[in-house]
Amino acid sequence: MTSPAQPAARSMIDISDLTVTKGGQTICHVANAIVTHGSTVGVTGANGSGKSTLLRVLADIETGYDGKCIVDASLKDRVFVHQSPYLFNGTVLSNVEYGLKARSASRSIRHEKAALWLERFGIAHLALRSVESLSGGEKRRTALARACVLEPKLLLLDEPLADLDPEGIDCVVRSLSKLDASTILITSPSPLPVDLTQATITLKQE
Amino acid sequence: MIREGILEALQLLLRLDASVIDAATRSLWVSIVAVVTAGAVGISVGLLLARKRFPGRSVLVLLFRVGMSVPTVLIGLLCYGLLSRRGTLGELELLYTPTAIILGEFFLALPIVATLTHGAISRLDQRVFETARTLGAGTIQRAMTYLREARLAIMLAVLTAFSRCFTELGIAMMVGGNITGRTRTLTTATALETARGEFASGVAMSVILLSIAMLVTLAIALLSREAVEPVS
Repeated sequence: MTSPAQPAARSMIDISDLTVTKGGQTICHVANAIVTHGSTVGVTGANGSGKSTLLRVLADIETGYDGKCIVDASLKDRVFVHQSPYLFNGTVLSNVEYGLKARSASRSIRHEKAALWLERFGIAHLALRSVESLSGGEKRRTALARACVLEPKLLLLDEPLADLDPEGIDCVVRSLSKLDASTILITSPSPLPVDLTQATITLKQE
Repeated sequence: MIREGILEALQLLLRLDASVIDAATRSLWVSIVAVVTAGAVGISVGLLLARKRFPGRSVLVLLFRVGMSVPTVLIGLLCYGLLSRRGTLGELELLYTPTAIILGEFFLALPIVATLTHGAISRLDQRVFETARTLGAGTIQRAMTYLREARLAIMLAVLTAFSRCFTELGIAMMVGGNITGRTRTLTTATALETARGEFASGVAMSVILLSIAMLVTLAIALLSREAVEPVS
């Protein structure tokens, strides 16, 4: 097992022969993958091919793996959004401001950034709504806004387009395009919109 | 006989009998102080046991679980040993004071709050921990997040502890001594009045005890119903 260490050359992610095994069964294997800084990369593959596991390894949530996996971003600069995101009790706004509070951003900065990303994701009108009353699509947009507002170096999105209607997908694609400096990995069981990604990593079931 | 007792009890209550009110207010404030202090310690302990891995953690979890079923008479006995003249805290002269009852009830409430908080945090969705971590929350923000997400179950733990303290007899009797106007509580008063044949007074005390216990039980039931409903 190799722990995330120093970057190789100028790539954001450098993976070589990465294998995750659970209960004697390989649940994720990536032979080689290099992701450059600032790129948006799709991770596709059938159900059970290890897409979510790969993102969890990159987010340092899943630590038991073999092989090399080097990420050129500190843990604070990596944000992972679950396939079925969890929203904390409270309002949409309190969720979107959560990570900014963790970074000790001032109240005015928090409000300003949160308002910007709520607007981008088309949920500004829901800011003061309790998360309990949101639809599936609104919850997903809230979770994405909560991650994007941090403008992390590495954004790991597990099937972010699920539950979204075509308008919602357009909104997410437009919003993600604003993150110029971020490297984004997006998993999907089906091909992603062509204007969203510059490259694709395809995983096969072992 | 019971009907006569209830009627007399109602009369005592309606004319706000001084001894009944005195015992009721003492029972309330002693239990509240014990549960608030045990709550502060127990919630922190429960959170630590649920989230930190350290040697002996499983043993501690087991000990707190066992602590939930320790008879109040035994807690009273241990506190008596601690507070009696020859005891470790004998010099403080706390025996037969409300503080002694608070101390005993603290030890009664602590394992309840700690064990139920541990269970509540452990049962939280794994995504709560992962989301807080990936969004960069520090130790304190994460702890506050877990407590907020499990707040209904934790409130339930505190109310359960209060219910147990408010209705216990063993500790109040052994370290309180049932002194009129000083350490008499609703439970010790009920036992005394019944023993000396003042059945109506005993029933009156029991009616108040039962009313407050029922209110707490109602609150627990309402919270339990909310606690089982998923939030997200």
